[in-house]
Amino acid sequence: MATIFLILHGLVTVALLGAITHQALATCVPPKAKPYSFFARFRAVRGAGFTNAIVVLYVIAWLLGAAVYLYFKVDVQPNLERDHHWHALGFFDLKEDFTAIGLGVLPAYWSCWRQPVDGRSHQIRIVLTLLLAFAVWWAFLVGHVMNDIGGFGS
Amino acid sequence: MSHSTFRRFVFAYGAAFALFYAIAHARGLPLFTVYPAQGIVLPGLHRSRDVADPVLDFLAPEMYWYGWTASAAISALVAGLLAALLPARLSWVWAWCVALVPPLAMIACAYLTVPWFRL
Repeated sequence: MATIFLILHGLVTVALLGAITHQALATCVPPKAKPYSFFARFRAVRGAGFTNAIVVLYVIAWLLGAAVYLYFKVDVQPNLERDHHWHALGFFDLKEDFTAIGLGVLPAYWSCWRQPVDGRSHQIRIVLTLLLAFAVWWAFLVGHVMNDIGGFGS
Repeated sequence: MSHSTFRRFVFAYGAAFALFYAIAHARGLPLFTVYPAQGIVLPGLHRSRDVADPVLDFLAPEMYWYGWTASAAISALVAGLLAALLPARLSWVWAWCVALVPPLAMIACAYLTVPWFRL
């Protein structure tokens, strides 16, 4: 069951990573790239169209991660402690914290993207989108590294 | 609930969640403690090393993260409801809070993990 949850968690996170990265770049990067280049196409999406998908994917990824975390604590963390992977455990602690804070700002993020933008709303939208993007990227990379160090089935 | 009231609620909720999460983490205030190996959930903060030899800690690892998140969610709900009751002219305060507090809370959480990097 843990392996199924972990694979689903990874798949949902990959989808979330793509959506939040598209939206973050579309929001923050000025459209100066050469037209028809890969980067220009990547950022030339309508950011608002990703909002609901990002909220749903984030909640599903968070719930799956919360379920997998129970197995991690019992089956994986003791081995990492025995092998003195203290830095990896520290980074994983940060993953917990960042994803929890991301969950808390999710309603505000959703509200920002539902509204037509004025000056201040646009700034808040950028901050919250970047914050979520950072949390998702951190969680993905740290989760990936942890799985490489001592994942399930090792 | 009008759109402006909802917006005040979610902005205050987001800021308060981040703030209370960092406080719950720093001060050890989980709503409950989970013992995954035993499948037990106990209210409040519990440490297995307080009732058993620390050497046996690995047999009953405790988890506070769910409890911190629950503490933050409930506290933020109260803060959000209070913000929704306050006048609409204070909306800008909640807007600034939701932009500033979560990044600062993340930095605070990073500071709290420093002990892992000193081992």
